[in-house]
Amino acid sequence: MKISKKIIANLKEGGVDFYLSVPCKLLANMIDILEKDKDVYYSSVPREEEGMGICAGAYLGNKFPCIMMQNTGIGNSVNAIVSLLQLYQMPVVFLVSYRGTPGEPVGAQGGMAKITEDILQTLRIPMLHCSSENDLEKISTFSKHAKVIESPVAILCDFNLMKED
Amino acid sequence: MNRFDLLNKLQNIFKDNLVICNIGLPSQELYKINDQPNFFYMLGSMGLSSSIGLGLSLSQNKHVISIDGDGSVLMNMNTLATIGNRAPSNYTLLIIDNGSYGSTGDQRTFTDEDTSLKAVAIGAGCKNVVECSGEETVNELSKAIDDQDHSYVIISKINSGNVKIDPIPLNPITIRDRFRKFIGIVKYL
Repeated sequence: MKISKKIIANLKEGGVDFYLSVPCKLLANMIDILEKDKDVYYSSVPREEEGMGICAGAYLGNKFPCIMMQNTGIGNSVNAIVSLLQLYQMPVVFLVSYRGTPGEPVGAQGGMAKITEDILQTLRIPMLHCSSENDLEKISTFSKHAKVIESPVAILCDFNLMKED
Repeated sequence: MNRFDLLNKLQNIFKDNLVICNIGLPSQELYKINDQPNFFYMLGSMGLSSSIGLGLSLSQNKHVISIDGDGSVLMNMNTLATIGNRAPSNYTLLIIDNGSYGSTGDQRTFTDEDTSLKAVAIGAGCKNVVECSGEETVNELSKAIDDQDHSYVIISKINSGNVKIDPIPLNPITIRDRFRKFIGIVKYL
């Protein structure tokens, strides 16, 4: 719970006040925290691409949105990221549980893990890769940066980091 | 009645509300009929008009109308479940159902065969699901907006058919900023 608390505190410090998730067991503690938090909006959504659309609307309505998802969700959302969030220059934080990184017990997750950063680089999405607890302090500044550059950004949280939570 | 006729008839209702308009011909027709700053034209991301409008209605108090099409709703049907469970009372989804992929050359969609979006929306948990003719849509949409306690899904059954039209000349940041200025967020324009 310690890691999840730090991540949410840093996102809120960075101004994020609207949260969606497509659940992952590595995000479960964060979802618990957000469901009890009356200061921000939180909902689950069935699919990440749809979540990108809801985040775009939330930005138009003056919220600063974050969508929490597995790295597989990036694959589900490429066109929505490029043809909506980037086309209209909308800041959205992707909080990504980086499945398939060392510690992962499910071999099939390795496929998307191998190409996740390549996809984000191809899309020119700034990344913050969190592999230790010290990295989490960078999240608030990194989130604020998304607003300054009017762009989606991605925070990747390694499997072993979240496993310690 | 086709989509162009229907959008013409709805202008008076649109003028005081925030309108998210589906990509392609719906946006191009709306732009040609009566371009307004409170219209957010989608230039990409087919399927997400319903979702963008939902996020907007959850984030501020003005009434939001998402103009969507049958082909687009079929592409992002899961969002009907999110709308059914989360849509606030300032949200109306207007599905213009002409049974056809109009922007790509009027190929038939499944709503022209066996799929009922009304049944899907109800099954997904949406309340106040109304299916009506194009002529009835003005009245049904007015009622939905006047009801300040409930969200609505209106499925307007019309004929397929398009008018010849040009792409929207506005760039995306112009669309974004004048829309947010209308809401009262952008001060620098």
